[in-house]
Amino acid sequence: MRHSFERRVDDIRISKADINAVILDYLINEGYPSAAKKFAAEANIQPAVDIQSIQERVEIRSAIHRGDIQTAIENINELNPQTSVLSMSKPGIFFLVTSTLDILALIIVPLKILDSNPTLHFALLRLQLVELIRECTSVPNGDITPALNFATTQLAPRAPTNPEFLEDLERTMALLIFPPDNLVPPLASLLDPSLRQIVANKVNEAILVSQGARKEPKMRDLVRLRAWAEQKAREAKKDLPLALELGLDLDDHPTSSGVTQGNGDAESMMT
Amino acid sequence: MPRRSSYASVVSGAPIIYQQPSRAGGFSHLLQQGPAAGGYLQQHQPGIHSRSGSRALDIEMYPGAGSISVPASLGRGSNHFGQTNNGAFGATHTLFTPSYLRNSSYVQKLADAHRARLSNHGYGFSTHSSNAGSLSTSSSSANLHKMAPSHRGMTYDIIEKEPQTNGEALMPLPTRWSDHDKLSGIDVLADGLEVRFIGPGKSNQDHDAAAVRADHAMPPQCGIFYYEVTIINRGKEGLIGIGFCGPNVSLNRLPGWEPDSWGYHGDDGRLFCCQSSGKDYGPQFSSNDVVGCGVNFRTGCGFFTKNGTMLGTAFRDIKGKIFPAVGMKKPGEHVRVNFGQSPFVFDIDSVMATEKELIDAEIAATSVASLHPPLNETSLIQALVAQYLAHDGYVETARAFGEEVRTEAAALQCGRQSSTSGSEAKEDFDAINRQPGLGIRTAILEGDIDKALKYTNAYYPTVLRDNEQIYFRLRCRKFIEMSRQCSELLTLARSSPKHSDSLDGLHNDLYDDDVFEQEMELDDQVQNGSDWDRMETEEGDAHMRYKNLTEETLHYGQLLQSEFRGDGRKEVKRALEETFSLLAYEDPKNSVVAHLLEPSGRVPVAEELNSAILGERFRGFPLPACQLCFFFPVSLGKPSSAALERLCQQTEVLVNDIGEDGGVGAFINIGHEFLSC
Repeated sequence: MRHSFERRVDDIRISKADINAVILDYLINEGYPSAAKKFAAEANIQPAVDIQSIQERVEIRSAIHRGDIQTAIENINELNPQTSVLSMSKPGIFFLVTSTLDILALIIVPLKILDSNPTLHFALLRLQLVELIRECTSVPNGDITPALNFATTQLAPRAPTNPEFLEDLERTMALLIFPPDNLVPPLASLLDPSLRQIVANKVNEAILVSQGARKEPKMRDLVRLRAWAEQKAREAKKDLPLALELGLDLDDHPTSSGVTQGNGDAESMMT
Repeated sequence: MPRRSSYASVVSGAPIIYQQPSRAGGFSHLLQQGPAAGGYLQQHQPGIHSRSGSRALDIEMYPGAGSISVPASLGRGSNHFGQTNNGAFGATHTLFTPSYLRNSSYVQKLADAHRARLSNHGYGFSTHSSNAGSLSTSSSSANLHKMAPSHRGMTYDIIEKEPQTNGEALMPLPTRWSDHDKLSGIDVLADGLEVRFIGPGKSNQDHDAAAVRADHAMPPQCGIFYYEVTIINRGKEGLIGIGFCGPNVSLNRLPGWEPDSWGYHGDDGRLFCCQSSGKDYGPQFSSNDVVGCGVNFRTGCGFFTKNGTMLGTAFRDIKGKIFPAVGMKKPGEHVRVNFGQSPFVFDIDSVMATEKELIDAEIAATSVASLHPPLNETSLIQALVAQYLAHDGYVETARAFGEEVRTEAAALQCGRQSSTSGSEAKEDFDAINRQPGLGIRTAILEGDIDKALKYTNAYYPTVLRDNEQIYFRLRCRKFIEMSRQCSELLTLARSSPKHSDSLDGLHNDLYDDDVFEQEMELDDQVQNGSDWDRMETEEGDAHMRYKNLTEETLHYGQLLQSEFRGDGRKEVKRALEETFSLLAYEDPKNSVVAHLLEPSGRVPVAEELNSAILGERFRGFPLPACQLCFFFPVSLGKPSSAALERLCQQTEVLVNDIGEDGGVGAFINIGHEFLSC
């Protein structure tokens, strides 16, 4: 017997046009130019912005992803922030820019992205330091001088302005002391590629905001809303199935709709 | 003949004013048409009445009152609409949107239900509403067997259901004071917006007050409910109580003096919370003061405002079904209510916005790690997008996206163990989708219906046979595309003004000798197109092509009609009528049916066909059974939605669940905030 919740879900109709708009918004916002172009054609949507214009963001992101922070910083500084920030044409933007702080940021940022955002600037420089350390510690007896120089000239002067900066710097410098293949988790996480991803995302957001766009695609709000709504519904003891499957996996066990009731299913319930 | 004239009148006549997009945002702007907040006091002066100055037509003072769908041009002082509201539909059909609820999904549902009710009552709006399998619907899944989606939200089945089944889910907003839920000592005036104390009846004057409840309870699904009362006359002592109470609370005392009753009293400015002893709260209120009363169902708190100033939280732990209520005790006391028909004095919109900001911030901070472990947010979204693209047949995009994601992942690797971001599934999908005939969707989106029909028949011969309604919609779309081309050619031909006369003639000419004459109302001045030969080649060419294409279109229309004439289904008939209504206009592009020609109308047709093809293609595809389950949940017997679509569907139900009792969900409108870019 299918859970009544699932039946109600089945009855909901979501407009494909809306989903497609969310997809295109995502592809543009997060920088997938080739997919965005194809999608605009295949789904026959007129993109609101020139897809080519996302190329510079993509290049900056790729530079950060591959650890070339110097290039990324140079490219960011070359960006010409559009001054059309105040004439925000999209009516929806006010719903998205949720806090007044963000709106202030929209107005201030056009001066220069990194100058007006010391935290972001520091995060980039810190990542650059991590990359330098990665370089010298990955080979036996690597030269740590470039890393030390960079730390003293670029990061040390900024660290006192913010206690968090100082802590981040100290933690990063610890990488020079411990052998890279046996790090405690907080240190190991610095060398994890996900740090590049996080910084790249922050840079992307800052650029978008400086251009008067939303800092994140709607898609992120949408999946968070889904997670949040389930959390709230469970807190409120609403009648829900044990698990709400998205149906994302092909090779996973099927949805909770009770299609199969063999042993395998029971086992997977236990785990 | 009868059919033509009947729907021609529908098309061109008055009911068209009900045709508006069904998004809340689509009509909420109409509220702005109302008098600015500062001018609200003027409304009490008889002179402001737009026409008659009669109290009976009070509704006219509020251009926003009928704001479900009055277009801007007709909204202000539209006599017609005013009469409609007061006459044919009566007060119960009046629907307005209080400004602070303009983005509320609940109010949107009310509006959809309202529209559905109007069309169901045979007022003739149905052909042009976006309901009922209309060709112009933007909802991809609407089909002719299912009356459905106006746009989004949960109210799709309303047309078919008994009123009772959704009566509870769709409790209406309070609109006026009740004529019967009151004591006799109180007089309800001005279409239920004003109440006046007329006398204590007999007996003990000191103890007898009289109160009145609104026609409906405050719906918790609003999240916040707010109304304002203007004191027209405070009487001698200002013994007026404003607040809310349960349905069974005795009405012979001021609000607040009884259990299940809450009120703010004008004579002493005190609050009364379910008992006869009050506590100090705010200032007294008197003639010309505007007192606002609000309940936040999420927090269970009540508050009051006076002349636009917030007085602070008045009550906590408010529970149960509560009605706006006002009570009075002395002769002459007279108040007027505003349930949102006109702008509020207090900026309740900001309160709503602040509330929403809190919730939005909470949502933004929510981790999605639980949705599909071990994927993090970025990987989950990549997987959802990849799967959606593949599932719905956007092959090229899926491939390009896959490449870009892989490039990104590769850059991130830097020699460490790879945590491939859930995009492996994409490969499988790519394989599945490497099948011919995927240009079908593109063909439809480009308006090339013939190509789509040809390809579909070639690659998926059973699809159109098994899905008659899709076949029908494709055929109708083909007719629309032909009309569209005609319209374009007409514009082209007309670019030279000297020929416009002969073109008008041509139009009539074509109809004159044709089958549709029994349905057409023709102009009398039939001319013959004798001056073709004088035309310049290019224009002449356009004229010729227009003539030919128009004839072709008519011919195709005949075929279409004869093929489906025998079909008794109401939806089919309606769709046919709607489609053929294009013929009633010489230049449909510039007519009231222009929306039918919108290229956006191709999308649902394309999606529907695509879904059917997907279903066909996976049938018999050598996938393990469990994988097929994903595409064919047994209970559905048709291709399932993509995971992203599923996620949206689940979210819609979840949000509805956590909003129905006034919880956080009440502040969220998915369509408006999360699905519109």
